[in-house]
Amino acid sequence: MKKLYTILASIEQAGEHMIRLENVSKKFKINGRDDTVIKDINLSINKKEIFGLVGETGSGKSTILRLMNGFIEPDEGSIYLRGEKLDRKTRHQLVKETSMIFQGFNLLSNLNVIDNVLLPTKIRKGNKKENIDKAKELLSFVGLEDFHQSSIRTLSGGQKQRVAIARTLITNPKIIFCDEPTSALDDKMSYEILKLLKDINEKFGTTIVLVSHDISVIKALCNRVAILENGRIVDIVSLTTKEIKPVSYKEALLSD
Amino acid sequence: MINQYLETFMIFRGEIFKAFYETLDMMFTAMVISLIFGLLLGFILFITRSDGIYRNNTVYFICSSLINITRSVPFILFIIVMIPFNRMLIGTGFGVNASKIPLSLIGISIFARFTEQDLLDVNKNIYETSYALGANTIQYFTYFLLREARSSLILSFTSTIISLLSYSTVMGIIGGGGLGYLALSEGYHNFNYKLMWIIIIMMILLVQIVQAAGNFIARISDKR
Repeated sequence: MKKLYTILASIEQAGEHMIRLENVSKKFKINGRDDTVIKDINLSINKKEIFGLVGETGSGKSTILRLMNGFIEPDEGSIYLRGEKLDRKTRHQLVKETSMIFQGFNLLSNLNVIDNVLLPTKIRKGNKKENIDKAKELLSFVGLEDFHQSSIRTLSGGQKQRVAIARTLITNPKIIFCDEPTSALDDKMSYEILKLLKDINEKFGTTIVLVSHDISVIKALCNRVAILENGRIVDIVSLTTKEIKPVSYKEALLSD
Repeated sequence: MINQYLETFMIFRGEIFKAFYETLDMMFTAMVISLIFGLLLGFILFITRSDGIYRNNTVYFICSSLINITRSVPFILFIIVMIPFNRMLIGTGFGVNASKIPLSLIGISIFARFTEQDLLDVNKNIYETSYALGANTIQYFTYFLLREARSSLILSFTSTIISLLSYSTVMGIIGGGGLGYLALSEGYHNFNYKLMWIIIIMMILLVQIVQAAGNFIARISDKR
């Protein structure tokens, strides 16, 4: 009985932490020289949290994101997703419970909007009809119900990012990684994307990890933020997030 | 004047059709082999490059060198030095079937290089995207890489076919026959310039048709 309790307790604990990094370091070789990028990172990200990573260019924030989804393997330390250790064997399975949004949207230009959204389901296999219905539902959710058959080149940046968001949502991910999701967008479109991410977090309870160099993006969205400098976490700050409001150019110019 | 050309065509129609058939026969085999093995070799080059996902300098160097060697030997000499190889492979060094071997090898080399270049032109982020969306390496190739490179690959293969067509014209040297050889032996060497011009026009039309078809297929497959 006692053993059962410990098992239950460990499951409970695993459930709380969506992502856990223990003493993670990663070196990259640049011009044949070892150049440490990530140094001894310890970090836990909770369920349903919107967690931010900020830092200068080259501080290693994007690298941490790629370590978290297993695209890059750490040299030292361990990474756990939902309590399971990420390694070469498990990474393809674990990454399927996550998804990612990129700065450059990374849609397939040879597929139309709905086929881009359906792409992750093709990889996983499943009921085709159900998937198509779900893709249509998600495209309505992101405000693109009239664009099912459009080709990607006809869309604006904000619309492309919304297609990418619909694409991440189709597999019901537990975690969404966002790498500078609004950097390529103007303020109004950025606002729409941030609002959408917030809605997703509230509606589906999805954990979101957000990398940005833009403080206003981080402030608008994140519950907690890790500040990175030269591959180390120098501080973790808790934020009380406000309601995201659209700001006109005039307001932005006049505010402090 | 046109009548004289028609007359020549009618006199030589048996030879022309036979030569045309030989050309198509050589071309078809070489095209199929170039498509399959050229694509495969192009993929190997792409993934084993110094910035590829399975970086392997040895494999890349060997494949790349073989391609360069095949392409750098003057083709007529290449055909000649391949004679013993043909004999080893199919028992005879001469004839239409033997001609298919050097033609296929040059086709593989050309298309492999094209494939490598087309895959390099695909957005580099696509590998990471495929991983983040849950794809394994095979799915990365089929659902992401090939799909994005599709129309460039079609155009590259069209160019490969046209190169093969011009290479096929010198196959007469090992008894491969074909249109080019007929134009040269019956037309040029026998002072039958009308026949030579008829065949030149046929070749031009053939290239035009192949290029138009390639462009059309590439256009309908390209939604970028």
